[in-house]
Amino acid sequence: MGFIAESLGKAFALILAGDRDVMSAVATSLSVAIWSVLFGSLSGVPIGIVVAFGRFPMKRAVRVVLNSMMAMPTVVIGLLVYGFLSRQGPLGSFGLLFTPRAMIIGQTVLAIPIIANYTLSAIQGADQRILPTTLTLGASTSQGMIQLAREVRFGIMAAIIAGFGRVISEVGVAMMLGGNIRLYTRTMTTAIALETSKGEFAFGLALGVILMAVSFAVNSVLTVAQESQRA
Amino acid sequence: MSINKYELSSIQAFHGDVLGVSVDELTFTAGRLHILTGPNGSGKSTLLSILAFLMKPNQGQVIFDDAPVKWALKECALLRKRVTLLHQNPYLFSGTVAANVSFGPLTRGVSKDTARRVVEESLEMVGLTGFESRPARELSGGESRRVALARALACRPEVLLLDEPLAHVDKPTAAILELLVVSLSAKGMTIVMSSHDERLGARLGGRVIHLEEGKVDWMSEERDSGLAHEAVGGQHAIA
Repeated sequence: MGFIAESLGKAFALILAGDRDVMSAVATSLSVAIWSVLFGSLSGVPIGIVVAFGRFPMKRAVRVVLNSMMAMPTVVIGLLVYGFLSRQGPLGSFGLLFTPRAMIIGQTVLAIPIIANYTLSAIQGADQRILPTTLTLGASTSQGMIQLAREVRFGIMAAIIAGFGRVISEVGVAMMLGGNIRLYTRTMTTAIALETSKGEFAFGLALGVILMAVSFAVNSVLTVAQESQRA
Repeated sequence: MSINKYELSSIQAFHGDVLGVSVDELTFTAGRLHILTGPNGSGKSTLLSILAFLMKPNQGQVIFDDAPVKWALKECALLRKRVTLLHQNPYLFSGTVAANVSFGPLTRGVSKDTARRVVEESLEMVGLTGFESRPARELSGGESRRVALARALACRPEVLLLDEPLAHVDKPTAAILELLVVSLSAKGMTIVMSSHDERLGARLGGRVIHLEEGKVDWMSEERDSGLAHEAVGGQHAIA
């Protein structure tokens, strides 16, 4: 128990001191997660809507793929994206590997299935009268879908929160595509893995506390935003 | 303008394998009230869905204002701007009453000022003046039904389709809705409404079309409304 208390003390000391490594890891984690969730939402929400309403061949297969990708280990996604971004890969000429942009690409791939699936569930659970109501009031199909998205906005917000939770806490993609480079691509999770492997458990735990606090704060802000819209 | 708003011929519509409605010949005169009666499952709602261009019949032809309907997506979207259906159990969007009632005008691209004026007028017609900022989901059942009707009226439709508008409403609300239907019909709006009540025709006037098992069983002659006199000044009474 003693060393856990000591680690917690060290965590607060690091936060209060504004330790450069810690602040850099926090900033990288947050910026990469925010961009990933943004791109993941811009892709995942429309995918969820299209899968919910679209009539196309292989629709069931698309759902199976989305469901499977939700459970796919992050290192596998990291590995697949690595294949595209490495020197020999189709996107190798862009020189993205081991940059924050590569991490954003990987984490976006990670976020899309979660956001798409949650959006799909929100739409399927929505009142079946919404779309016919909009149509009979003269809305076009796209206007009807926008109104439907408004009606299930809390479900979509939950999808985005879940996507954020997935990317902020993952380590596989960040490690494989970012390379854990100090003050550049090192995130809180990759720093925890590194420090713990070096035997710096207290430092790792300190970063863990910070990660949980940051995650809690961001989710609180999103939840408060969700609740204020509901009121 | 055509005498007949709709002309239906050899219409058959199925829900899966079950026959929803089967009509050989049926016309709906423009500017009149038509009341569809019949028991549950007689095809009233299915017929209204076809008239609202929400459901394509499996067979047959629908002519609207002398033009055969081809049921293309774009064509139906345009036709639905001229016809509005009030569902039996209407869904109100989250948000305020004004947000609900302004939905139709705003999707038609009118300005916010015009939409605001239309909302006020439509709410006045259903006797809900001053309800603009009320949360739509916190209204009583009767008020919700009237807001849904105001929302339909705000679209300024050529044809108003009402699916059981008098079901599950209290007597005062039913009286307001009846008076409004007669008043709108007297002003030349084509109205097709469904009801279980076969005596409704005697009270509201118009023509009763009775359906049984998806088919037209009998039709009454056109009648004048017993409420016509009230309806002349009815708008003020309602407001």
